[in-house]
Amino acid sequence: MSEDAIAKSHVADFPQDEPRIGVYICHCGSNIAGVIPPEEVVDFAGKLPGVVRATDTLYACADSGQRQIKEDIKKYGLNRVVVSACSVRMHEPTFRGCVAEAGLNPFLMEMANIREQCTWAHGHDREGALAKAKDLTASAIAKVSFLHPLDMITVPVSKKAMVIGGGVAGINAALDLAEQKIPVVLVEKEPTIGGVMAQLNKTFPTMDCSI
Amino acid sequence: MVDAARQPLIEVKTFTEVEKVEGFVGNFKVTLREKSKYVRADRCNGCGACTKACPIEVPNYFEMNLAPRKAAYVPMSQSVPLIYNIDMDACIHCYKCVEACGALEAIDFSMTDKIVEEEIGAIVVATGFSHFDPSVMSEYGYGRFPNVITSMEMERLNNSAGPTHGALVRPSDGKPPKNIAFINCVGSRDKRYNPSCSNFCCMYSIKNAILVKQMHPGTDVTIYYIDIRTPSKGYEEFYDRAREMGIKFVQGRPSEITEDSETHQLFITGEDITLGKVVEREFDMVMLNQAAIPQPDQNQMSSVLSVAQSPGGWFMEYHPKLRPMDSPTDGIFFAGACQGPKDIPASVAQGSAAAARASRILHSDEWHIEPTVAVVWPDRCVSAQDKSCGICSRACPYSAIDYTQGKAAEVITAKCHGCGACVGECPHDSITQLHYTDAEILAQIRTLLATEPEKKILALRCHWCSYGGADLAGTSHFEYSANERGIKVMCSARMDADFIYEAYRLGAGAVLFSGCHPQDCHYITGQVSGSKRANRLKTIFERMGMSPGRFRIEWISAAEGDKYARVINEMQATLDAIPPEALKEEIERLRPEMARKLTRLPNIPGVQQALDQTDEIIQLMTELHMEKV
Repeated sequence: MSEDAIAKSHVADFPQDEPRIGVYICHCGSNIAGVIPPEEVVDFAGKLPGVVRATDTLYACADSGQRQIKEDIKKYGLNRVVVSACSVRMHEPTFRGCVAEAGLNPFLMEMANIREQCTWAHGHDREGALAKAKDLTASAIAKVSFLHPLDMITVPVSKKAMVIGGGVAGINAALDLAEQKIPVVLVEKEPTIGGVMAQLNKTFPTMDCSI
Repeated sequence: MVDAARQPLIEVKTFTEVEKVEGFVGNFKVTLREKSKYVRADRCNGCGACTKACPIEVPNYFEMNLAPRKAAYVPMSQSVPLIYNIDMDACIHCYKCVEACGALEAIDFSMTDKIVEEEIGAIVVATGFSHFDPSVMSEYGYGRFPNVITSMEMERLNNSAGPTHGALVRPSDGKPPKNIAFINCVGSRDKRYNPSCSNFCCMYSIKNAILVKQMHPGTDVTIYYIDIRTPSKGYEEFYDRAREMGIKFVQGRPSEITEDSETHQLFITGEDITLGKVVEREFDMVMLNQAAIPQPDQNQMSSVLSVAQSPGGWFMEYHPKLRPMDSPTDGIFFAGACQGPKDIPASVAQGSAAAARASRILHSDEWHIEPTVAVVWPDRCVSAQDKSCGICSRACPYSAIDYTQGKAAEVITAKCHGCGACVGECPHDSITQLHYTDAEILAQIRTLLATEPEKKILALRCHWCSYGGADLAGTSHFEYSANERGIKVMCSARMDADFIYEAYRLGAGAVLFSGCHPQDCHYITGQVSGSKRANRLKTIFERMGMSPGRFRIEWISAAEGDKYARVINEMQATLDAIPPEALKEEIERLRPEMARKLTRLPNIPGVQQALDQTDEIIQLMTELHMEKV
């Protein structure tokens, strides 16, 4: 995305298109469904403005789960997707990729974390967990309505690597990179490379020399 | 080692420290300090004449200070590169080395440290580990009893290239020991020092025991252990071999070592779990198997690289299972023990793995980064109206905002890392952050507080640390109050005062303002901006007469799941301690004050629409809630 394009994208302060949101509530096997009934979250989400499709799914991240999202994008003309499942640190790239394959801008997908930050932490309070799962889903639905399509920023790459530390791990990394024709700067704070390994006598389990 | 030095594409820079890492994936600018060796690398041929001529001797760290080295030295004879160093702290400037070097003229006392900059696409961090110093454990007498040695000292004593040329001798009298004990888990699996297991030391003590037995078959060797851990390929067989060789294994961590002050014989007292009683045994020499600990400069490196540390101080990976080699910063990878104690096979494997991760980037002509950058609304920027400001520019940790009075501030997209500090700081709401606009975040806050807001704890968390901490609380099944409602922004610097005023205006029971610890900030000084703002808000709320604890500031790393759960539970307890009527009265009393802070909110582009649209959602959620009640 060029700087110009970014500057232009923010000019539309508020997305002009009418949201058509698809909401997917993941069971994650029993990880979520063992604590809360996903169908209750589906019923709730289905009533919120802009939601044209709400359903539960056994594993949203599995092929079948992703296929359903992609088919629904076409079938229901979805222009926003909410996946209530696990942490963004786990599967945000998965679902961004999934909606992109169906032609939707990946930044028009939002996740609600109802596993790590809900069912896994509130197993002792199922009612509380259900109320929270609904709120987190509603919050993602609210946010997704305001999202703009965005493109990744493209940057050039300096074709040189740096390895910090000249012990056994660093030396091996440097050699592997150099053998792929990548220039490497190997930085070591001591006067010699080798690290702890160079101080060792024989090494287990083969009892060969360390250097 | 030698292969690395011979490989033409590897430039080995020893005696060099990393001072600064700037930039981003594909485009790092690394500042190095090449410390002066006072010997010119282009002239030194490694002949060692300077060492022979040097009259000064100091302890050699490489030999665990068991042998001396000269002020003109290399740490070991196989040093790579074989270029000598003059240790200026020890040198007496007699210039005998210069004389000995002669026509080569490699020694140059006028040399100074050199600062160099490198343009780098990807970085592999392999800074390794250090050893626990057992002298703090007075019960084992290390430092007081000459015949109590560390594992690294044993390593050098038993090494043909070491100070005794491989002759294993007692430090007290230089005689070969006939009866040696090894004590495992010294400083590891010990809640006083390091609760975790050091990974490789069981195998390490077995290796040293086998070596002693092989070289000195008459020696009696006993290993004291808590558990023997030999899970990798060929390791259990190695343990079997040790037992077949007659090495004795005693289960139980010894409680004390005492010494006969005349003979320097050692007596280990400890419970032998197999026998079920406390036993005292006599030894000629005892080796303490030290825990692996993070490098002494690990905290400093963590700041230079802007990467967080796990409990215990090791560098923290992006995800322990899915991305174990990746740091949270795109383009920086970990290999080996800097991420946690590892043996040689695992470190070698990680070196290759990190190289593979880095080469994905280095083989690409271009790389993609998230477009969650800041953008200015030029028509709202007061600088464009010729007013003095520049707050956004000063808030930016990356100097990514051009500010000239008379012109609207301008974000240089390539330099922007997307922390949102400028957005959080701009007093005129003239900047926004893509994917984290005020409209989007306010919509989230309003929905989360749609029903029974007084019961809720709104938690604002940064992406890299506190959100990860909340994830870890869940992954570890640390239970906490289900009244918590979380919002994620990239950095605590983005946590706008308006968000918090709006939360209280809506009647939130409590608000948590949470980000990384200052030294862990993914955005250099983002946390500092966030922290300042949070403390300012705290004072404002105190003056307003808000009950203590309803606004809480906590720095929680991605490794502190237990802390996240504890903080939320404490906040719940604080709320529970306020009588409902009193809380209601307080919320109502403060509502107009909060509203006064927010009069300009609807003027921010997109926000009025967000307010209208969320009103609709809130109304619906309220109806659904009422139906249920």
